[in-house]
Amino acid sequence: MSESGENEGDVEFVREVCANGVCMKTSEVEAKLDKGNIEEAESSLREGLSLNYEEARALLGRLEYQRGNLEGALRVFDGIDLQVAIQRLQPSLSEKPSSKKGRTKSDVPASASQHAASLVLEAIYLKAKSLQKLGRLTEAANECKSVLDAVESIFHQGIPDVQVDNRLQETVSQAVELLPELWKQAGCNQEAISAYRRALLSQWNVDNECCARIQKGFAVFLLHSGVEAGPPSLASQVEGSYVPKNNLEESILLLMILMRKYHLGKIKWDPSIMEHLSFALTLCSQTSILAKQFEEIMPGVFPRVDRWYSLALCYSGVGQNKAALNLLRKSLHKHEQPDDLRALLLAAKICSEDSHIAAEGAEYAQRAISNAQGKDEHLKGVGLRMLGLCLGKQFKVSKSDSERSRLQSEALKSLNCAISFEHNNPDLLFDLGVQYAEQRNLSAALRCAKQFIDSTGGSLLKGWRLLALVLSAQQRFSEAELVTDAALDETTKWEQGPLLRLKAKLKISQSKPMDAIDTYRSLLAIIQAQRKSFGPHRSVSEVEDDKVNEFEVWHGLANLYSRLSHWKDVEICLEKARELKQYSAEMLHTEGKN
Amino acid sequence: MSISESAHSSPTAIENTRSTSIRSTFKAQSAIESLSSIITTVPDSPNPSSSLLNDPEIASQISSLLRQADAGAGNDNLCRWLYDTFQSTDPQLQLVVLRFLPILAGVYLSRVTLRKPLAGFEAVLLALYAHETTSRSGQSMTVNVPDISHPSIYHESNTAVKNNATNLNLEVISPSLEPHGTVRSTKRARIVGVALELYYSKISQLPVASKIDFCEFCEAWAIGGDHQQDSSVNNNGERMRIPLSWELVQPILRILGHCLMGPDQKQNKQLFDAAYCACKSLYGRSLHDINPKAMLATGSLLSLAELSLDDIDYTEIRITNAISL
Repeated sequence: MSESGENEGDVEFVREVCANGVCMKTSEVEAKLDKGNIEEAESSLREGLSLNYEEARALLGRLEYQRGNLEGALRVFDGIDLQVAIQRLQPSLSEKPSSKKGRTKSDVPASASQHAASLVLEAIYLKAKSLQKLGRLTEAANECKSVLDAVESIFHQGIPDVQVDNRLQETVSQAVELLPELWKQAGCNQEAISAYRRALLSQWNVDNECCARIQKGFAVFLLHSGVEAGPPSLASQVEGSYVPKNNLEESILLLMILMRKYHLGKIKWDPSIMEHLSFALTLCSQTSILAKQFEEIMPGVFPRVDRWYSLALCYSGVGQNKAALNLLRKSLHKHEQPDDLRALLLAAKICSEDSHIAAEGAEYAQRAISNAQGKDEHLKGVGLRMLGLCLGKQFKVSKSDSERSRLQSEALKSLNCAISFEHNNPDLLFDLGVQYAEQRNLSAALRCAKQFIDSTGGSLLKGWRLLALVLSAQQRFSEAELVTDAALDETTKWEQGPLLRLKAKLKISQSKPMDAIDTYRSLLAIIQAQRKSFGPHRSVSEVEDDKVNEFEVWHGLANLYSRLSHWKDVEICLEKARELKQYSAEMLHTEGKN
Repeated sequence: MSISESAHSSPTAIENTRSTSIRSTFKAQSAIESLSSIITTVPDSPNPSSSLLNDPEIASQISSLLRQADAGAGNDNLCRWLYDTFQSTDPQLQLVVLRFLPILAGVYLSRVTLRKPLAGFEAVLLALYAHETTSRSGQSMTVNVPDISHPSIYHESNTAVKNNATNLNLEVISPSLEPHGTVRSTKRARIVGVALELYYSKISQLPVASKIDFCEFCEAWAIGGDHQQDSSVNNNGERMRIPLSWELVQPILRILGHCLMGPDQKQNKQLFDAAYCACKSLYGRSLHDINPKAMLATGSLLSLAELSLDDIDYTEIRITNAISL
């Protein structure tokens, strides 16, 4: 590549052709070619440079290719019988490397044949390139494939590392890299996949950068082509080695291998590899593995603040908020980038989930609000929302009354202000509803909960629960139960736990203990079925915080039975509860009453 | 038609394929016939299922019907046609239905809060969901993220064998599928998400126009139709900001990844641009939701789209002034 860079202006103009120590100007030959006299051009080359027929044709073809005369190049190459040429090459090359271990002078004839092989293979390769540029992609792919087939039949054992003609190796490497590209361009996806695997699983002796490009190309194809590759053939599988079983696994494997090559200094840094890996791992929610990849990257590749932020996203993506917050604190330090809006918002969000650090979060949110300017102004509403949430959380741990009422009113003010920026964001309605409910402004809370359900089409369970809870706080138990029933209709069995628990409590509040017992029974059935059907693996969505605790259910039942003076049932329930949790104050209390 | 005749003839392999292809042409023809009572002009074509899939005239008529204010109700003839066509079980015809999934799902999710009857849309979505449930036999899809300290088909490793307890990083990327006879509101995103997973699995066979439709709806879902703070303009609620849970975002990301970096993008600048805009909107939305995973994934897609603009062709030969043997 470097050579072509030197004389960019006139690269298309070939000045001379050289062979056997002689050089000749091409103008005369070109004139003949332009007239369509391939034979004459050929014979003047043969005479001028003392070449044989194939050599002359190969040179002419390359000349035409470089001149951009692709049709002409094809006409020249068509005159070479490549199959015959390949067959002629086979015996001389295949015998030597396998029979002789020591590399002696007797290899000289082999290297002469290598030279001939190189010439022929380069000619086929250029034929493929010409066809590619003419849009005849399937033909191009077949020509390119025949280069690789020929190499495989010439070198049975794969290409040896040493004593391979540079030019031959270059052609082979280029053909290995080109073939899958051609199949892709031709729209032959399955052929592309086999070509990629053939490139990566056989011995072609391609250099590290070239191999890396092929691996990356395949990884991208697996990730984005939308064509399922299926597992690699059994022949390529070695006992005990990892075999990917779908596209995502195979592409992640390749990208991780590329990252390792970079760490080992075998290839240079390519930012797109990390981005592809980041996309693939995030798709499977494995951002903690992604974090490890970020940690392994040498300092200096990314600005450290960016790296901390990416790491914080990774940790926060798997719920490791403490680790995420520590990183964000570093990057928001006054000597780093204290006003980085994205980091401020993420930090505020994390703090808003824990009342003990909510004050810190409120500070981040304030800073975010004052920095949301210019093109970032649209994030002002997000900052206000976070401020409202943090203040609301802070309220919960605050001790003085005056402070509490200040926090309350400011929390409400921020959330309401946020709505003016994000009037179409239903999450804000929910936050406001919760805030109002906590401040015992139940009619406002009710309004928000209803609006939230409307604007999300009832698709989020938390909306239904908020509405039922607000109604129950207003002592409107039967309405709360209606809402709970409606919510039950909109969910499937597995998500019904929290709703059933709520329903049982509503029944108790309405002094219907027998109904409550029935509800608890269905709840228990669900919990137990769930435990059986979900094996050790769970998806993230299933490990949500609102799982109903089985212990709680048994304990609730025990309380109910004890109210009804069904002492035997109380005993059974307490026994069950004890199996789950040996010492518990609530349980001892119930036992005492018993 | 000649179906019965070919069934009587000798059951060689060729005959069999011929009779399947005849049957499939027959199905496609009858699909076209019933479509002609719904849209105004149905062109005559020797290859009916291909023209149903690719004909821009048919596509634009169906699309505008799906976008009509009263579309998607229980008695919507077009929805019935889409449903029946999908149930034909002919793979080519099923592609035709998937081709219109972006518009159907897009309009559906945007309008669902308007309390309009949408049973027609839902029937089609449920059919797609049921198909996917059957073909996966309800199983979840998992990914086992490799641990490269162990050797693989593509690399060797020194620390092999020593520790046999492979670090299993097993992740469920699409949970198991339970049958649904109706669209319960809390399952809506999942049902549409699974339909999009099906769309993605066939995406290499779908026309670019369908993918562009998808990108445009993504943009609407992410930010709504009212860029200029004017909530009154949302053409029949067609461009509505919707809740974006991971079960929707994940298949959306896969489809957008394909649109940005798949095979069509190179030939089709319009698709690339549409996908790029969709990604940008989703990235903006993830900042608003402070959703770390969505930020990471959309952020990566955006960087990749920018990086992909300068490509060097390493398969080009070295151009020299002197050609030598």
